[in-house]
Amino acid sequence: MLAYTARRALATIPVMGLVALFVFSLLYLAPGDPAAVMAGDQATAADVERIRATLGLDRPFLVRFGEWLWNVLHGDLGRSIFTDMPVTDLIGQRVGPTLSLMVLTLILSIAIAVPLGVVAAWRKGEFIDRFVMFFAVLGFSLPVFVVGYLLAYVFALKLEWFPVQGYSPPQNGFWQFLRGLILPSFALGLVYIALIARITRATMLEVISQDYIRTARAKGLGPTSILFLHALKNASLPIVTVIGIGVGLLIGGAVVTESVFAIPGLGRLTVDAILRRDYPIIQGVVLLFSFSYVLINLMVDLLYSLLDPRIRY
Amino acid sequence: MSTVEHSEADRGACFAAAPQLPDVHPPQRIRGRFASFAFQHPTIVVGAVLLVLVMGCAAFAPLLGTVDPGAVSPARRTRVPSEAYWFGTDMLGRDVYSRVLYGARVSLIVGLSVAILSSVIGVFIGLVAGFVRPLDAIIMRATDAMMSIPSILLAIALMALSRGSVQNVILAITVAEIPRVTRLVRGVVLSLREQPYVEAAVAAGARTPKIIRQCILPNTLAPITVQATYICASAMITEAILSFIGAGTPTSIPSWGNIMAEGRAIWQVKPYIVFFPAVFLSITVLAVNLLGDGLRDALDPRSAKRI
Repeated sequence: MLAYTARRALATIPVMGLVALFVFSLLYLAPGDPAAVMAGDQATAADVERIRATLGLDRPFLVRFGEWLWNVLHGDLGRSIFTDMPVTDLIGQRVGPTLSLMVLTLILSIAIAVPLGVVAAWRKGEFIDRFVMFFAVLGFSLPVFVVGYLLAYVFALKLEWFPVQGYSPPQNGFWQFLRGLILPSFALGLVYIALIARITRATMLEVISQDYIRTARAKGLGPTSILFLHALKNASLPIVTVIGIGVGLLIGGAVVTESVFAIPGLGRLTVDAILRRDYPIIQGVVLLFSFSYVLINLMVDLLYSLLDPRIRY
Repeated sequence: MSTVEHSEADRGACFAAAPQLPDVHPPQRIRGRFASFAFQHPTIVVGAVLLVLVMGCAAFAPLLGTVDPGAVSPARRTRVPSEAYWFGTDMLGRDVYSRVLYGARVSLIVGLSVAILSSVIGVFIGLVAGFVRPLDAIIMRATDAMMSIPSILLAIALMALSRGSVQNVILAITVAEIPRVTRLVRGVVLSLREQPYVEAAVAAGARTPKIIRQCILPNTLAPITVQATYICASAMITEAILSFIGAGTPTSIPSWGNIMAEGRAIWQVKPYIVFFPAVFLSITVLAVNLLGDGLRDALDPRSAKRI
């Protein structure tokens, strides 16, 4: 198991290396010459050349990539072009709201989607099954900002159950904090719920046709314990896999959700950085999100042997 | 023999006396066939009809009572929907109805172009990975890396590099979608290569291009078509998202995403500016997704059973 963990962890290194190379090329290919910008309008060509040499911008691509990677591994993502603040500090300030949003979305989505999928499989072909499947198609078709505005309009503007926009940090009261995140979480989670419910239904359909489910039924177990204890446990591998892959959807969706609900997280940081063409920030955020995504899916891989003791490495 | 349903007794008689056999494909009226197709695959029909309606809106936008979507008239700012302005006017006094109808063009062009481009390029790279074994590992690691960057984020990063234009939006989303098609095609190729009829073709001396043309490509067509519809749907959403956050279609060209972006500042007082493009976008994406689900059920019954 330990050897397997080490092997899987090592296998993610080339992938992360390629991601880093891509993200670095982004800054390398970015239009605009930082040396010319720093030198100002009155600078001569020689001045620009000198600044370029001091910044190390005249060295070959791979040398600069190596140096940049070294810095990244030491927690230095460079400085924002616009505010001159270290990118790691900017990310550190904004990571809280995004992390809260995504964790709440994850919890809500799994808590809603898995029972929906299980019930749909159990009642295959009946009304509840058709409802879940229709809801899944709808979930895939409604873009996150459309759902966001719809929820905000109905539950915040008209019914006034939740705040319309904004973010209240947990220090100002946990209930207030949670209330502000519920609508964004549902908006962000809809497509995720659709995805998980669909795969849960599909896998459960396969599992409940197995012999041991018939045995469980024959020995007199009720449907709840058969479905949620016996069947769901055996259906968990594909579900967990999709939960891991779906985090990619959440990350992309978070960028938009934060714009709709005016949450000062990494998504807002990215959008502002794009409008100002602040490449080091874009680079840092893309790198952070991608590495988290790879690590989450690594953890999912390692979970397999816990969920299914038959898998040995 | 007529096409009328035979009774059990008739069939029994057929077995006993073995008279002339009934037509294998009894002639049917076109309408009857269409009706039975529509009955078997209602999602294809609903999706196609909705999509044709939206395409009609896009193609005939100038004939559908629209005015110049860019025409600014400050005197008539933020009018609520009325008989004169069906969907109201925005902050610059532009007619939202005209903008939404013209905006359909961008969404459809982006959706279709990305679906076609990424399928063609993905099929090519997938074939290379499936047939040129030494390149396979490299291509697969590269797709791993690309797919570990969430696709919207990848498109955002690429858009940050370039000027906002419809072409660049198409290119950025295409690049983000190619790895998915590549993996799909490679998987199909690898499983087909083991099929006896491909082995037979190899043994008979068929050259690789011929095998690809005659044995492989026809079998990738069904999964690629289904995948392409899903890519089309997700490309339309991504375009809207990019335009919504200001990294997509330039504001000079109306698109559903940037109409919503412009309505964002006043959506709490004038929700209709956001509402109408959102409805059109959702219906269009829903139509394409329904089409995809229906095609999947019709073309690949095995996967239809699974999901």
